[in-house]
Amino acid sequence: MSHSEDHDRTMSPLTTTTSRLGRMGRRTTLTAIAVTLGSAVLAGCATNAPQDTWKPAGENAQKIQNLQWPVFLTAGVVGVIVMAAIGIIVLRFRDKGQPIPEQTHGKAWLEYMFIAIPAVILAAIAIPTVGLVMALNSTDDTECIINVTGQQWWWEYDYEVSADGTICGFAPSAVEASPIITSGQVVIPANTKVLLRGTSRDVIHSYWIPRLNGKRDMVPGRVHFLRLESDTPGIYAGQCTEFCGLSHANMRMETVVLESGDFQKWLDNELEPYSAPAAGTLAAEGEATFVAQCSRCHQVNGLLDPNKGTLVVSYPDQFVYSGASPNLTNLMGRNTFAGASWDLLTPECRADVWDATPEEFGAKYLAGVTPECLNEIDLREWLRNAPAKKPMYADPTMLDETDGKTRGMPYLGLSEDQIDQLIAYLLERK
Amino acid sequence: MAIIERPSEEVALAPSSVPEVATPSTSYGIFRRPVETTGWKSWLFTIDHKKLGIMYGVVAMFFFIVGGIEALLIRLQLAGPNGTVLSADKYNQMFTMHATTMVFLFVMPMAAAFANYFVPLQIGARDVAFPRINAFGFWAFCFGGIFLNTSWFLGGAADGGWFMYAPNSSVAFSPSNGVDFWGLGLQITGIASLTGAINLIVTVINMRAPGMSLMKMPIFTWMVVVVQFLLLFAMPVITVALFMLMFQRSFDATFFSVEAGADPLLWQHLFWIFGHPEVYIIVLPSFGIVSEILPVFSKKPLFGYPLVVFSGAAIGFVGWGVWAHHMFASGLGPISVAAFSVATMAIAIPTGVKIVNWTMTMWGGKIKFTVPMLYAVGVIVQFTIGGLSGVTHSVAPSDTQQTDTYYIVAHFHYVIFGGAVLGLFAGFYYWWPKMFGKMLSERLGRWNFWLTIIGMNLTFGPMHVVGLQGQPRRMYVWTENRAGEGFFNIGFWNLVASIGSFVLALGVLTFLINVVISHRKGTAKAPLDPWDARSLEWITTSPPKEHNFDRIPTVGHLDEFFHRKYEDRGSGDHHEFHQVATGEEVVANEEAHAESHIHLPSPSYWPILLALSLPIMGYGIIFNLFLLFGGAVLALVSLYGWGLEPHTAGDDEFDPPTGAALEVAAHG
Repeated sequence: MSHSEDHDRTMSPLTTTTSRLGRMGRRTTLTAIAVTLGSAVLAGCATNAPQDTWKPAGENAQKIQNLQWPVFLTAGVVGVIVMAAIGIIVLRFRDKGQPIPEQTHGKAWLEYMFIAIPAVILAAIAIPTVGLVMALNSTDDTECIINVTGQQWWWEYDYEVSADGTICGFAPSAVEASPIITSGQVVIPANTKVLLRGTSRDVIHSYWIPRLNGKRDMVPGRVHFLRLESDTPGIYAGQCTEFCGLSHANMRMETVVLESGDFQKWLDNELEPYSAPAAGTLAAEGEATFVAQCSRCHQVNGLLDPNKGTLVVSYPDQFVYSGASPNLTNLMGRNTFAGASWDLLTPECRADVWDATPEEFGAKYLAGVTPECLNEIDLREWLRNAPAKKPMYADPTMLDETDGKTRGMPYLGLSEDQIDQLIAYLLERK
Repeated sequence: MAIIERPSEEVALAPSSVPEVATPSTSYGIFRRPVETTGWKSWLFTIDHKKLGIMYGVVAMFFFIVGGIEALLIRLQLAGPNGTVLSADKYNQMFTMHATTMVFLFVMPMAAAFANYFVPLQIGARDVAFPRINAFGFWAFCFGGIFLNTSWFLGGAADGGWFMYAPNSSVAFSPSNGVDFWGLGLQITGIASLTGAINLIVTVINMRAPGMSLMKMPIFTWMVVVVQFLLLFAMPVITVALFMLMFQRSFDATFFSVEAGADPLLWQHLFWIFGHPEVYIIVLPSFGIVSEILPVFSKKPLFGYPLVVFSGAAIGFVGWGVWAHHMFASGLGPISVAAFSVATMAIAIPTGVKIVNWTMTMWGGKIKFTVPMLYAVGVIVQFTIGGLSGVTHSVAPSDTQQTDTYYIVAHFHYVIFGGAVLGLFAGFYYWWPKMFGKMLSERLGRWNFWLTIIGMNLTFGPMHVVGLQGQPRRMYVWTENRAGEGFFNIGFWNLVASIGSFVLALGVLTFLINVVISHRKGTAKAPLDPWDARSLEWITTSPPKEHNFDRIPTVGHLDEFFHRKYEDRGSGDHHEFHQVATGEEVVANEEAHAESHIHLPSPSYWPILLALSLPIMGYGIIFNLFLLFGGAVLALVSLYGWGLEPHTAGDDEFDPPTGAALEVAAHG
């Protein structure tokens, strides 16, 4: 073998094979891009994935989506190129008895190129990223502020009354506006730039409605903001995404978007004065049971003690470590309970509301929980023994570190009769 | 170890002799220095970097199995909706300890095993600079890991996640002793990392063979050095944080008490200033291993060696400026988020350089796809996937959709399992014949490789899907209400991931079987140079003698061993390599020119005793302050004993006593 032949064999794989393999590489690349795109399309078609991060339903999430899909695509293409190169190497440069290759330590121009190309790609990604970070943090276009407070393991919402006497720009029809306190589901008007102003009463929680925006941690001692907006009425699911202890998995939340007319109705209903159950009904017995068993922690606005006639005001800070318990004034107006972890609606009624078209959704949601639709199974289990259903620190013998206060709802030892009464009473809370 | 090479003068004069070994026959009671070279005491009191390396490996492998079982329990729990395998409490402990075990008790010490064993060999040294500190480091790690895991039996393990965010880590929210065990256990293993880091840095700076300039240093050693610097600066940060946590929990300090005016984000900053460099601490040693293996099996030098070195160093530096990308959702404010977002994109560049250079190393090569090579290629492919999904969440707004979901779990498992762990397995197969003189079976190795690759992709691949479909991490149950339907429903892919985890476990099991089978009696001894390797650790016997090299090699090339075997017979730009010697011949030549005066430091009781005092003090802080004082007394006694002990045993401690003690340089 002459020197020159030998030289060719050592040096040529790069040049003589690129055209053939280049074609093959291109084909592989194209196929792979098609597969990637196909998967992306399929991902978009998945039905009823309520927390799908690729299905924006509002401006903020849409902006994120507009930025992220080209990034995913670019990453996919780069990945395919690397895989193709590895594939070519595996096929082409196996030891088939060729001579020992040149002991080259590199080619400077090639190396600089491989630094420059990713640098340019990343710069192209960086610029819109910085722009969107700023946009998603701006607060000067806010039309509605709602306070949100996390605690183990549920979210509380507090609608403030603004200086002009409105809530989110809506004035109550019948009464003067007063703050609305609710939990589990936050109701917002459609096409309104809502700003959640959030904090926490104990550990760090994170507020996340994937179809409306990215997540934002709610940290005790700090106030953080999160923009929410949607133009489509419906229920948008979310979940606490900062590990917050025992029942982190059971800390959920939902954002309900209503057309302005429906939002007005919701608002009026929330501010309606308390109506006591008719005397002699099971619900009336339930009211007494509620006052005796529940009202220390759970507020029902306007509730009067049936024996004393005085206003009942809860004082959860005496019993619960975070200092708060969900306000139950309009429990049956929302359709989940216990940190939005369980449905108040039976599966059929739930599907009817959740899958409703945007046009029909408002009326169905505002109907609340009717006796026929009530999911008694979960609610009864909860009332029988809450910590058995949702893991909580409520064992009275193990509360040394919290001065005897529970984290979550304790076991109350209610009788089945009392549970019947309470359910009858709660069914009227809407 | 305890071999003090002390050939007689006559032997030393004979030019081609192998040094004679003076072996003490008995030891002299507990107050005399241990001198055994065989039996359990030779392991317990050894300061030989190779024995310590093997012990690091064995203990780390044990914890790998423990962490793996924890992972399987997690996957069993999540295989279907509303899992009942574990309670919420046990599940939270399980994922906390799975991460803690895998990061601190498997990947880091397994990398330390390779570093301990091979850095001295790769730089042509006889041991590390501080052999007793080296032994102390190993025992501190070992006892720290055991201490950490005893929490399972003493009231429950830590349940706050490996990131242990405040204030969820304080006593009111985590009343068991788990978090105390976690903090103190990591403190102890942290001492091990810190001492190891200083030791290896000093070793590499001072003890390289003649002719080995920094840019002729093997790439694995380079990456280990970068990692040691990262450890040197990162461990103090977590040490401070862990001390604050300890004072918060045990002595009523208020570092993280919001009601006392503290900001819980302080912990996050401290943790991630440590935690992000930790990512590179985990992955760079494996990058080094891969960068050793690819050239060997491609028969080409590492493409762009200086660039790989500098990009490793660049990753080391820039790695300090990206910690807050773990906190994009924490509420840092837009300026910080934007800055850390861009810095995170920047670190993709040196990381990409590695991928490109590895690919270019293979391009045009003469490649043999042995099992170590398969694993090395596996690292390129799997790590690339992890790296690219990393780019998607360097885009901060996109990250607010992905962080704390399974998409992140998928990402970092592709990085840590696909990058670090596959790299370690590449190292097992590549260096096994060097360490034990036995080849691991290639056939079983291929089963091991493919089961691992299929298993890991089945396990972690679907997590991309469930993450993007909105499943958060660290949930002890998931519900069908949020699972969706159709091809991308969360339920199906959770099941696939759970099945995959068992395939992966089968892969790891195959490795263990391979080890057992390869070490059965009667299996053939491995050839001296089975892979036609390129670097210095192969210029000696397998396994290496206790003094590593009969003659300290003089280094003229980056790939010294290759250039001793092959000669360039081309001229000018034309190169033509021909084999002029086999590995056996090169090693025989070294043996023929053995040095006559080889001195090694002697074993010692003190390192293990000092290390033992640490968990005793740990138990003391948790259970009884008197125990703390007991541990402190043991520590003091050990420190004085250590300080007063000469680095080399006196001649009268041997039986029979030998001639005058010979002085040793650079050992302490």
